[in-house]
Amino acid sequence: MRSKKPPADATLDPDGENATDMLSDTTLSERYHVWNAPEQPSQQSSLARQLKRARTRNRTATALTDITGEPIKPRRPRVRSSGRMPSAGMMQAQLDHWFSSRGWHIFSFQREVWDHAANGRSGLLHATTGAGKTWAAWGAALIAASRQPKDGLRVLWITPMRALAQDTQRALADPLPALDVEWEVGMRTGDTSSAERTRQRERLPDALVTTPESLSLMLSHEDAHERLGNVAAIVVDEWHELLGNKRGVQVQLALARLRKWNPDLLVWGLSATLGDLDHARQVLAHDNSVLVRGAVPKTLRIDSLLPHSVERFPWGGHLGMNMLEQVVEELDISGTSLLFTNTRSQAELWYQAILSVRPDWAGLIALHHGSLDAEVRIWVENGLKAGTLRAVVCTSSLDLGVDFLPVERVLQLGSPKGVARLMQRAGRSGHAPGRISRVTCVPAQGMELLEAAAARRSAEAGLIEPRFSPAAPLDVLIQHLVTIAVGGGFTPDELLAEMRSTWAYRELGDDDWQWALKFIVHGGEALDAYPEYQRVAVDDQGVYRVPSAAIAKRHRMSIGTITSDSAMTVSFLGGTKLGTVEESFIARLTPGDCFMFGGRLLELIRTREMTAYVKAVRVNRPAVPRWQGGRMPLSSELAGAVLDLMDEVRDGNDQEPETRFLRPLLDLQARWSALPGRDVLLVETTRSREGHHAFFFPFAGRQVHSGLAALFAWRVARHTPITFSMSFNDYGFELLSADPVDWQAEFDADLLSTRNLHEHIGASLNAGQLARRKFREIARVAGLVFQGFPGQMKFARQLQASSELLFDVFERYDPQNRLLRQAYDEALAQELELARLERSMKSMQKRRLDLRVTRNPTPFAFPLMVERFRERLSSEKLSDRVARMVQTLEKAADDAVKPKRKNNAES
Amino acid sequence: MTRQMNTAGSPADMAIEVAGETLVLLPERALWWPGRHTLIVADVHFGKSSVFRTHGVPVPAGSTDDNLARLNACIARYPAQRLLCLGDLTHARSGHTPQLVARLGDFREQHPDMHIELVRGNHDRHAGVPEVLRVTVHEDPHLDGPFSLRHEPPRNEEGIDSGYVLAGHVHPAIVLSTQHDRIRVPCFAVSERMTILPAFGAFTGMHALEMTAGTSYYAALEERVLGPIRNQAIPEKSHDRS
Repeated sequence: MRSKKPPADATLDPDGENATDMLSDTTLSERYHVWNAPEQPSQQSSLARQLKRARTRNRTATALTDITGEPIKPRRPRVRSSGRMPSAGMMQAQLDHWFSSRGWHIFSFQREVWDHAANGRSGLLHATTGAGKTWAAWGAALIAASRQPKDGLRVLWITPMRALAQDTQRALADPLPALDVEWEVGMRTGDTSSAERTRQRERLPDALVTTPESLSLMLSHEDAHERLGNVAAIVVDEWHELLGNKRGVQVQLALARLRKWNPDLLVWGLSATLGDLDHARQVLAHDNSVLVRGAVPKTLRIDSLLPHSVERFPWGGHLGMNMLEQVVEELDISGTSLLFTNTRSQAELWYQAILSVRPDWAGLIALHHGSLDAEVRIWVENGLKAGTLRAVVCTSSLDLGVDFLPVERVLQLGSPKGVARLMQRAGRSGHAPGRISRVTCVPAQGMELLEAAAARRSAEAGLIEPRFSPAAPLDVLIQHLVTIAVGGGFTPDELLAEMRSTWAYRELGDDDWQWALKFIVHGGEALDAYPEYQRVAVDDQGVYRVPSAAIAKRHRMSIGTITSDSAMTVSFLGGTKLGTVEESFIARLTPGDCFMFGGRLLELIRTREMTAYVKAVRVNRPAVPRWQGGRMPLSSELAGAVLDLMDEVRDGNDQEPETRFLRPLLDLQARWSALPGRDVLLVETTRSREGHHAFFFPFAGRQVHSGLAALFAWRVARHTPITFSMSFNDYGFELLSADPVDWQAEFDADLLSTRNLHEHIGASLNAGQLARRKFREIARVAGLVFQGFPGQMKFARQLQASSELLFDVFERYDPQNRLLRQAYDEALAQELELARLERSMKSMQKRRLDLRVTRNPTPFAFPLMVERFRERLSSEKLSDRVARMVQTLEKAADDAVKPKRKNNAES
Repeated sequence: MTRQMNTAGSPADMAIEVAGETLVLLPERALWWPGRHTLIVADVHFGKSSVFRTHGVPVPAGSTDDNLARLNACIARYPAQRLLCLGDLTHARSGHTPQLVARLGDFREQHPDMHIELVRGNHDRHAGVPEVLRVTVHEDPHLDGPFSLRHEPPRNEEGIDSGYVLAGHVHPAIVLSTQHDRIRVPCFAVSERMTILPAFGAFTGMHALEMTAGTSYYAALEERVLGPIRNQAIPEKSHDRS
């Protein structure tokens, strides 16, 4: 087994959307479904095989491994580097020379980036994967270093995924001898061994590949200034992955610090296609920086795998399994392919399903997702590089990273949800010269074909989702303040200026700043409120420091726990590690429950500290699936493009194969009701045994619809006592009531009014429940919850408290706490997309209301009925709510199903 | 084994009968034993928030006042001569701050004749017992009438050799859920041979129990005790997907 050292980094969740899905999921309702594990043959052809192969591969050196036959271990150069490099004038000439010696052509964008670097100019390079962007940035960094000859660490290369660090390290180190640069390129991530860490404590390499978390950790050392002060250039790889989240804010803060130490610091970001690249540039490289566009993007082809027949009443209950046969046919005729799914559980299912119809492909197809053990993932990646795998079923874990030349084809199972995401995935194919990138959308249900056609339109028109930096998150601010207090201390005025030089905190208010300072020093707003409190203390010179070594240590260990869900190791009783799984998932299981993992069926035996012990199950038993996915909302861009398609269909203009194929469904929709469109707000009402249904189709994404449903229900219930059941998807939502509602009158009144919107939203939703979920992350980032590491849980045992408990305590005893307020704000902004909701209400005000009474649910309404999941608008007191639930439960008392057990007791 | 009685002092409370004795379950997460004029609590964890603050985790104060207020509310409702804690009276030694000791001293002065007793729990072993409360400490298990008073409940009922067990330590809770809603609430778990009390402390976590047949669960809500709830069907493994 590999190094068991506890990681100091966050485990980056490459399937980040799973974590957020999971969060938004649980806020709405907790539901899972039971399915039966597929038949036997898959059992051997699973993770066990992958692991075995990975290990065999390790033992027998192949072309893929280095000389020692160990492809996984980071390279550890034994020889100290001299740090020598060509002079400022010569560096670019060396690069030219090296390129021509390899017979390579220098792209104009590479030249452009180098020229800017030679003039000390920072910027953002927008380039598709591959395409020489690494050389552009690395060259720029070398040029910057040659312009400022100094000792010590010169270049930092930030990558969002530690899995990418090793490949990057190798790619950066390889050309150095030819460039006459006598440098050591090191790596520092959560996976770095303690021996290597110790070595780096003594002396840092000349260039270091690292993650945002490890960089923050370096800032927390007292000699950080000394060690990092000579950095001449920073490259942030895959900046689009970081820009929109708190890890990106962490990078902004670290950059501010390094810029203070070296005002001439060169910063270059690398980004995939985004809707607002200029914002991405501004946040990273500030004013006076440049945006460079990379080589002309490869030809992109987005098409769909049309099912054999149209379902006129589509529903998504089968995870696209009805397409299995067709997908297998496609794989059979294609070269190496990637099959992207939206969730890990879907990937597991598909992997099994393909093997069950093509057992002869055992060993030729593989599974790759973020929870699998690194060893297994690396084996799969190497197999892709070598072209020995026919297909890999994967999640967003393969969205990023080095290119796999042999990949010829990408299939997307289920809705891509966004244009940028689909383009990114398409870009994983067709790297061989003269090839095009091709992605084929495989619809899990018919309506998703519309999204595929819409995505193609949007990609062609360049309408791609933007990402924006979070604004002044207080939890990250508090973490950073303590980090700097640990790392040599700070004076408030100086640090405030530094903070405000970042985009995220440029408008940081004095009151928030003062509150944060008081919070870290006094534990609360009131001075001397808690004399026993200690975290940060102010010394005689007015410098804020952390006096306690234990607190400093604990803070370092918790830096970077920004990722939302803690990871639990999945291990066999014998100790073989299989990978990691979200703690929240394991918490829902009871020993004896089965679940799919790594392509096999496992039974949970027990959980101990941060490990879930399992055994393999040979017989078919029902398994508890992990969160069913596709919970990411459809992006505005994609939703808008779908509406455009509707308009075209209404005008009899079937340009796209997908809309032609869906004609029977769309015709029926038009006949029974109408088609929605850009200028039409379609609302359908119908009656059934269940009651009076109203279906609304704003096309604003599921999160907005969940908010709209609650808001509409609340607004109607204000003047009429009525209870609604709700359901929603990306296209619309349903409100079901026992009594009819005069919707026309409601629309004529204030149903769509944006007046008092925030207040009404707050009143209509269980905002507390949403905020409670958000607080999990905030408490972790701000250092309220100490997670510890596997094997170290006993450390500070008496400090274990769940964020949920802390949330309750803050709500009860310190309701004005700003971290609590941040949780509410984030819940509304992220879980509900409040800004989008407001925009969508304004757009609905302008649309023509098309109110239809239908005899039956229409093809658009049907999925809402099927996917019914109801949130009852509830304002009852706790005890009434429980009493009512108990009443419901008593009715069902006979079919005894066990309740769930959780493992967060404190004793 | 258990039977609902009408001897509770408030409609919010709920009387049950175990081992031939009447016990009244209180929504404050305490238990009133009228036969011995005894108020029983478990897992108070006094000073826990101070422990957090001492270690640099800024948890707001308020839980001590909350705990004392609920104790006083119970004492006001029932003529308690004895206050018995089934372990984990305080959280850790570093939580015995002067403020906490002063607050506990005030409480003691309000009830000078109260017998305060403690069955030593795992936290008490390390934390010690604040002198100011003048506590009589018993080792676990402590026999009293028909009851075996403990901190940690025995692992299984077969392990019970003498007396009906009253215990804490577990911080029991039950998860109640329907398709639309799901909630975790502290509870009393009452079975043939033992009753586990919910944690009394305001700043304590919960451990959701797996419901077993033969055990009655009483949810301690803010306003009242609700139950008995027995082995309810929890239709959470629903079949539809979205």
